[in-house]
Parts: sequence; C-alpha cells; structure tokens
Amino acid sequence: MSQSVSAPSPAPAATTPPGSRLSLTFALREMRGGLGGFFVFIACIALGVMAIAGVNSFAASLANGLAREGRVILGGDAAFSLIQREATEAERATLAAEGQMSVAATLRAVSRTADGRTALVEIKAVDGAYPLYGAVATEPAMPLPDLFAQRDGAYGVAVDAALLARLDLKTGARLTVGSATIELRAVLASEPDKYAGGIGFGPRMLMSEAALRATGLVQPGSLIRWYYRLKLPGETVSDAAVDAMIARANAAQPDAGWEVRSRANASPQLERNVERFTQYLTMVGLTALLVGGVGVANAVRAHLDRRRDVIATFKSLGASGSRVFAIYFAQVMMLAVVGSIPGLILGAALPYLIAYAFGAIIPLPIAPSISAPDLALSFLYGLLTAAAFALWPLGRAHDIPASALFRGALGGEQRFPRCGYIVATVIVVALLAGLAILLSYDRRIAAVFVAAAALVFVGLRLVAMLVMWLAAKAPHPRATGLRLALANIHRPGALTPSVVLSLGLGLSLLVTVIQVDGNLRKQFMDSLPDKAPAFYFLDIRNTETERFDAFVRDQAPQANLDRVPMLRGRIVAVNDIRAEDLKPAAQAAWVLQSDRGITYGDDIPQGSRIVAGEWWPKDYAGEPLVSLEQRIAEGLGVGIGDRLTVNALGRNVTARIANLRTVDWQSLGINFVLVFSPNTFRGAPHTHIATLTYPGGESGDREMTLLRQLADAFPNITTVRVRDAIEAVGELVTNLILGIRGASGITLVAAMLVLGGALAAGHRQRVYDAVILKTLGATRARLIGAYALEYAMLGFATAVFGILAGSAAAAVIVTQIMKLEFAWLPGSAALVALGAIVVTVVLGLLGTWSALGHKPAPVLRNL
Amino acid sequence: MTNPSGALPAGDAAIALSGLNLSLGRGAARVHILKDVNLEIGRGEAVGLVGPSGSGKSTLLMVMAGLERADTGTVRVAGEDLTRLDEDALARFRGRHIGIVFQSFHLIPTMTALENVAVPLELAGHADAFDRAAKELALVGLGERQHHYPTQLSGGEQQRVALARALAPNPAILIADEPTGNLDEATGRQIVDLMFAGHRERGTTLVLVTHDPALAARCGRTVRLRSGQVEAGAPAAAPAGTARATALA
Repeated sequence: MSQSVSAPSPAPAATTPPGSRLSLTFALREMRGGLGGFFVFIACIALGVMAIAGVNSFAASLANGLAREGRVILGGDAAFSLIQREATEAERATLAAEGQMSVAATLRAVSRTADGRTALVEIKAVDGAYPLYGAVATEPAMPLPDLFAQRDGAYGVAVDAALLARLDLKTGARLTVGSATIELRAVLASEPDKYAGGIGFGPRMLMSEAALRATGLVQPGSLIRWYYRLKLPGETVSDAAVDAMIARANAAQPDAGWEVRSRANASPQLERNVERFTQYLTMVGLTALLVGGVGVANAVRAHLDRRRDVIATFKSLGASGSRVFAIYFAQVMMLAVVGSIPGLILGAALPYLIAYAFGAIIPLPIAPSISAPDLALSFLYGLLTAAAFALWPLGRAHDIPASALFRGALGGEQRFPRCGYIVATVIVVALLAGLAILLSYDRRIAAVFVAAAALVFVGLRLVAMLVMWLAAKAPHPRATGLRLALANIHRPGALTPSVVLSLGLGLSLLVTVIQVDGNLRKQFMDSLPDKAPAFYFLDIRNTETERFDAFVRDQAPQANLDRVPMLRGRIVAVNDIRAEDLKPAAQAAWVLQSDRGITYGDDIPQGSRIVAGEWWPKDYAGEPLVSLEQRIAEGLGVGIGDRLTVNALGRNVTARIANLRTVDWQSLGINFVLVFSPNTFRGAPHTHIATLTYPGGESGDREMTLLRQLADAFPNITTVRVRDAIEAVGELVTNLILGIRGASGITLVAAMLVLGGALAAGHRQRVYDAVILKTLGATRARLIGAYALEYAMLGFATAVFGILAGSAAAAVIVTQIMKLEFAWLPGSAALVALGAIVVTVVLGLLGTWSALGHKPAPVLRNL
Repeated sequence: MTNPSGALPAGDAAIALSGLNLSLGRGAARVHILKDVNLEIGRGEAVGLVGPSGSGKSTLLMVMAGLERADTGTVRVAGEDLTRLDEDALARFRGRHIGIVFQSFHLIPTMTALENVAVPLELAGHADAFDRAAKELALVGLGERQHHYPTQLSGGEQQRVALARALAPNPAILIADEPTGNLDEATGRQIVDLMFAGHRERGTTLVLVTHDPALAARCGRTVRLRSGQVEAGAPAAAPAGTARATALA
C-alpha cells in the first residue's frame, strides 16, 4: 500500500466507536493509502468470482431458456412420440380429443443430386398444423404452405445452409430423397422445436408429411420417429392440466408404448448435458478461485509483512492480538468485497455477451438473465476463499511482537498460528469444499475434485520442501551465481513455497486440459481405429437384405459386411416394476430414458464377451431370452433370471435375462445393450442395420464411389459415412473444449497473476541482495544469471510435478469419466515444461530488473 | 495537570525488577542479554538508562513495558506483576499505564496526526478520544497540524505527535527509546523539553534510554548497564521528594 497521502483528511467524528466497529474504523484508516499493493489480491478474487458467477449465470440462462421456451422447444404443451410406427387410429383419436394436434416425423435419409453426389440429411416432416408454438424462419421468408407445395413434380423443402454448401447448390436446385423429387426452395434460418430432437449428424431438411410419404421411406419398421404434439385449449394452461391430460391419455392407451414429454421437461437430455457441462465449467471456475486463493494468501502475507511496524505499534499502544487480527481480517474481507464486485458484474454480463456474440452459432436456447441466487453464491465463494486463504497468515499477525519496533524486523518466523485460527481455517475450508460438493450436479465428481485439489496442494507443499531441502543439502558450488541461486531457494523466507504453489496449480490445470483436449482430438479427429467400419447402412428392409448383401459384396468384394436386424424398443418394466419407478445408478439411467436399438441373433455379437450365464442354443424356441450389457445390468440391479419388458413396434415383450456381456464400444462396430433370442421378434416388421469395414482402414475414393452406387440402387437405404458422423461429434466436442478452454484461460490468467505477485513479494529482499552484492563488486549480468538460474530451477521442479499431477488428473477424467482410452502426449507435456520455465524466468527477471537498477547508496542509508 | 487514569497505588514503586534474566535466540545463537538485573524506580522519578550498544538497555525497556518476557525474575510495574499477565492483558495494561516514545517515531502512516494520538484512547474505549487527542496535540504545539499525515510532517513534528500519543492516556510511566536519536540537536532539545514538561506536570515516571550524556544528565538518576548487568555504584541522584530510587545491584 502506498503510504504517501497528499492532503489532510477531514476531522473525524467526535465519538469513539466500540469493539468491532473500532476494528473496522482502523481497517478503513489503514486502507487510505489506496489499493495499489492489493492489485493481485483484488484481481485474483475478481477473476475467481467472475469465473464462478459467469459459469453459474450462463447455466441459469440456459435453464431459463429451457424452462421459458419449454413448449416452443417441445413443439406443444405435450408430445407423444413413437418409433418405427405411426399412432393407431384409436391413439390418434385419444390425443386429438385433448386439443389441437400436430404430427411430425424425423428420420435420417440420403439426398442425391442429379449427378450422383450424396449427402446425409436429417428430415423433419410436418403436417399443416405445424408449428403449434413459435415460428419457422426461412430465407427467403415464405408461408409454409407455399414452401411445401408440390410444383412441377417436386416437393418444396427448406434446408440448412450447410447442405447447400456441402453439395455446392443454390436455392431452386433439385434433389431426390428416396423416390421423391425435392426442390430446395429456401434456407432454414430457424425452427422453433430444434432442440427437442437432440443433435443430428446431418443438415436439417424440413418438408411436408406428404413429401415424406412420397419418398417411399415410410415402411413398416423404418427408423422414423413420429411425434404427436398437442396444444391444449385455453389461453393459460397450467402444468397440472398438462400432467392430467397426459395421465388420461396413458390410461386410455396403456399399451401405446409412447414416450411422453411435457413442456416442463421438454428436453431432459439437453438439460442433463447442460448441467453436466456446467459442472465441468464450475470445477474449472473453482480451480480459478483456488489459484486466486493462493494469490490472496501471498498478498496477505506480503501486506502483513509490510505492516509489521504498524501492527507492532498498535500493540505497543494497547491493542491486543485479537484486535490486530480483527483489524486486518476486516481489511481482507473489505478487499474481497471490492474484488468480488467487478467479478460479479462481469460474470453476470457473460451470458449476455455470449448470447450477443455467439447466440446464432450455439445450439442452445440461451435466455440471458440476472440470477440473484447464483450471483449471491458466487459472492459467497469469493468471501469464503478470501477467508480460507487469509486466516492462516492473519492468525500469525496475532503474535507479531511489539518488540519488533525496538529490534527491527525479526525475519519471517514460520510459526503456526494459534489453535483458534487453525480451527477457523479448517472450518472455512470445509465450508468451501462442502458447498462445492453439495451444489454440484454430480457430487461424486465434485468430491473427487476437492480431494484432488487437496492432494495437489499437499503435493506442491512437499515439492517445495523437497526443492528447499535439496538446495540446502547440495554441495556448495564454487560459482558465485549458482551458490547465490541455491541459497535463494532455501533461505528462510525464500519464495520457493509460494512460487511452487502458484505455478504448480496453474500448470497442473494446464496439463490436465491439454492432455484431455489432445486425447479427445485423437479420439474424434485423428485416424479411426483400423477395424472401424467405413459405413453404417440403416433401414435395410427385410425383403431386400439378400439383394443388398449381394450388391455390396459385388461392389466391395474385399470389404467385410456385417448386417443384423434392428428394432427400436424401450424398456418399460424390470421384474414387473415400471421403468419410471426404478432407481437406476447413474451409469445405467440413460438406458431407461428413451428407446434403444435392439437386435436378435443366434450368435454372440462381434466385440462382445459373455461374462455370466450362457448364450442360447441355435434354433432356440423357448421363452424369450435377452442378453444384457454387464454395466447396465449392474446399474439396473438385475442379473441372470430377472425379467425385462420392452415395448417395440407397439407391443410389450417380456424376456428373461439369459446372460451378461461386456461390449467393446470403441470398436465402432454394431453393438447393442439388448440382444434378444431370435424367436422373440421373428416375423415382426423391422429393418436391418449393417456396417462395411475395409481391411486396412479407410479409403476416401472407393468409399465415395460406393456411396453413389448404393444411393442409386437403394434410394431408401440411409448410408452414414462413419468419418462424417465422427466429424459431427468432433465438432461438438470442439465446441465443448472451447468452453472449457475459455474458463481454463481465466484460471491461467489468475495463475500468472499469482505467480507474478509471488515473485514481486520477494522484491524487497532482491533489492537488498542486489545492492549488497553490487557494493561487493557483482555485475548486473552476474546477478541476472544467478536469478535466472534460480527461477529456472524452480520452474523446472514445478513443471515436473505439474506434468505428473496434470497427466494423472487427465488420465482419470479420460478413462473414468469419459470412458475412453488414455494416451499420454509427451510432446505437449514437454512444451508445457518449457513454457513453465520460460514464464517463471521472464516474470522473475521482470521484477528483478528494477531491483538491479537501484543505486546502492540510498538503499544502504535506509537499511 | 494531575493524573489520571493510570495513577499508581500510593507508596508503591513505579517499577520493581528483581532477579531478572533474559536470553534471546535459539541453540548456539542464544545470547544471555539481561543477567540478574535488580532495579527499582520510584513514582515520578526520571531515570536515564545508559550504556554501550548491546548492553541490554532497550531490552530492559521492553521488559518494563511488558513487550518482552523475562526468563526468570519478577517484573512489577505500576503495582502489577507483569509475569502473570497474558499477551492480551499486557496489551490492555500498556494501554492504561505505559506511554512509549520510539527513536523512529512509529506513527501509523495512513492516519492523521490527530488519529495517531487518538489510537490509544480509542483502544482504551474513551468516548472523548478525539477531543483529548486534539488537546494533547495543542500541548506539543501541533494544534494547527492535526489533520496532516505523518509524511506531511517533519521529523521533529512526527516525534512531537509520537510524544502526544504516548502522553494522551495520561500513563503512569513514560518510556522513551533514544527519543532524539533521529533528530537534529535543536529539534531534539524541543522534544526533550516537552517530555520533561510532561513528566513534571503530570507526575509521570520517566525512563529513557539514551547515548546522549546531556540528556542523561537531565534525568534525576542514571542507571548504567554493561553486558546485561546494572553497574554497581551507579549514581543515584534521585531528586528530593520522590520515592525510593535505588539501584539495588
């Protein structure tokens, strides 16, 4: 804090405030010199609070968007969806009786240009009542009846601009989808119910129901999802009325097997993803706050060091240790408030900025809003962090002796603070950790994060102790520079602990992000596994399987074709307990949330291994049996002999669990959670799914040729090129990584600030050393060399730890949370190590440079 | 001006030290600073502590002010056995009974002259802290500079503020550690005059450490320390009318 004060102050009040108010008064007087010395403190708290407030506000804006736009996102007050079949007349009548109904169908299909180029499209076919809520925007704008009208033998559609770009077409161009001719009449700018269906692999094509039927793709068992959305009568319809209507419809059609959503849970999957994403960001935000906490601790220590004389003076004038603590604690909390305010403002503004800058490209309904509870929580985090990291050094201030005034600085004693302060620190840290865990989406992950953070703290403390011990025990070198560097590392009051902690935390996070990032990229964007298929073929009709097999074998004789029957089915009961009444573990919950692909077969599927029970014999004809993936079975709490009821094609089928399998999902082959004995579905109308794998990996040219030939010969079969699908997922992953990188960036800025602050804290000592050594004949170059060596040694030791800790954290995240294989990336690790050394040396020397510039005489006079 | 809140019990010595030993540092670096010091200072007495550097003068002063604890021996100051008081009780004791003037002034740089003087009064809970502080400042001739910060004051003015601060609670004992050490001769003389005026007018017991023989000579008695011990045969020129003033060593 600058101590120059330019003008006399006004007269204070004539009365003396009592107790805690007196501490506050003294604290305020102490801050008159300005906040200059607290830049790092304030910036650390501001960045940490901004990260937390920003993440929370963004999440709240998304939740708000989801809630407010529920019926628009859903496309109605309630939606009933069926897969592979349309609603029966009776079902339609039941629904239509409740309000205005709109029918929509979604499916994947291949579109072909006249010259044979193909592109996968996500079709949405709608009826005349669409949309019940919201509006479709097209470019050029046109009413939907005009857009969809059949003209000159072609049905009009609106498509994503991406399709035009991919096929190099303009509006007005014609395509074929199945056996229908399609005219691209407009670009689809927005569709109100875009988010309800999840993320697709291809560009959207919005067409009429008539056009869909004209394609010939609507066949029994085709993978088409039919939505029946209802708008209930009346201006204001309560959620209770919607729920009551759903209950009536379910009671009237108990065997419909439809999936029902109300506007209150328009897109649970999206909500879940938003929550999960928010949690990861929150963890990164908490790391920023944690790193900031180290800055707080350093700043408080440096501040108290500067104020030793004042503290001793207070004591010599009758202030107790508790009073001294109260004065400086009040100061720290006031500074925390000062730092939190810009953090809260920026954090609250973040959703507005994101919506303004990226609203058009983020596939999420952001409704920016100020969420007071979230901001209050972020504020609380900021105050708790400041308290958690300041209590320890403040506790030490309690015991700064007044005799310091007579004897000069006694040096930084490393005593523990009194018991009360240790207990208070533990309580505040526990509160902080408890809050982080309690408020998280997945408490297990949050607890792991808290434990990991604690481990990293302890680890860095040990690294600092080890480095100091090694420096102290190292043989005394003859080179003055090296000797000075080693002495600086281990002398009492050395910067080693604070530099190692500040740099180490930032580095650990950086390594984690880089390794996770690199692994995801490797997984989604680099080479596919050798055995990965080149294509998936969907909707191969039962009647054309033999012709399809022959065609593919003829066109791609060297490739391996794997084809299995494919239905969609939803688990509706386990051992006669309804799915909605089950309490599955987190790893299995997704299986119950929607319909899943199911198959049947005589043989154990490739990539599967039986771990319990027996596979059924060929030509088995007994009660229906099912094979279940092992982890899902564990999550659902079922085993061999238990009964699963699945609704497929509108009827409920109950099968006994005959065996459990492990599945290698990463092979990208055809794998199913549920595989039934063939007698379960034989004769039911369904389609097949197939994969085609080229030995020795992918080959762009022959893939594209086959794609064209297949589209010509089998217009109804949807071909998904695996590389395209992976790229679509990869794009999504890239966006997620961008979000995480943004939050991590804040943490890194905080880490740099903290490191800079930690290095600056040693400035006074540096000036002293430099002046004494210069007096004794040391040149600047020699001093810089010694300091650079010291910083490089610290940077290196910390980098080694950061790489170890960060890689371990990344390995846990990739293998345990993302369930992917982890590959350590040595190149990026080496780069981080190098970067750490460079940053430490540069930041260190920046501070030292001015120390070297001091003329010896004035400093010596004031020593 | 008569005392005051910090009045001593009648007939008791202001300061009584006996069998005092104190060592500082640890292990091989431990230094035995005060060795079997016995000293009694009467109420209202002015005592100069003199001796070469490192003889233990400042340490002895700190023990008297309750800023340093003796390893052995008894320390009775203003009727209170300081060895029995904990850290906080010692702080409160200082606030009530002891005023300290430092060589380096030790004003709080972020507070005005008035606020600096008011601090001990505020800490002691006086409701009229600022009125009393203003009067004290006027007494040291700084009535017009109350609202100036230490950096806006000269060295002599700063020491006058420090003296006003030390005297503001009307302490029974005023201790000063080389109060003129950082001042030029003329300014130093002003400060000393003010200090002795306070001692005289308020009956405050004055103990000061100095290297200046002239200043030591103004004290009623001089106690000489050498290697942590009170030198035998130190002149005991206690002014008439004060209580016993004996160097017991």
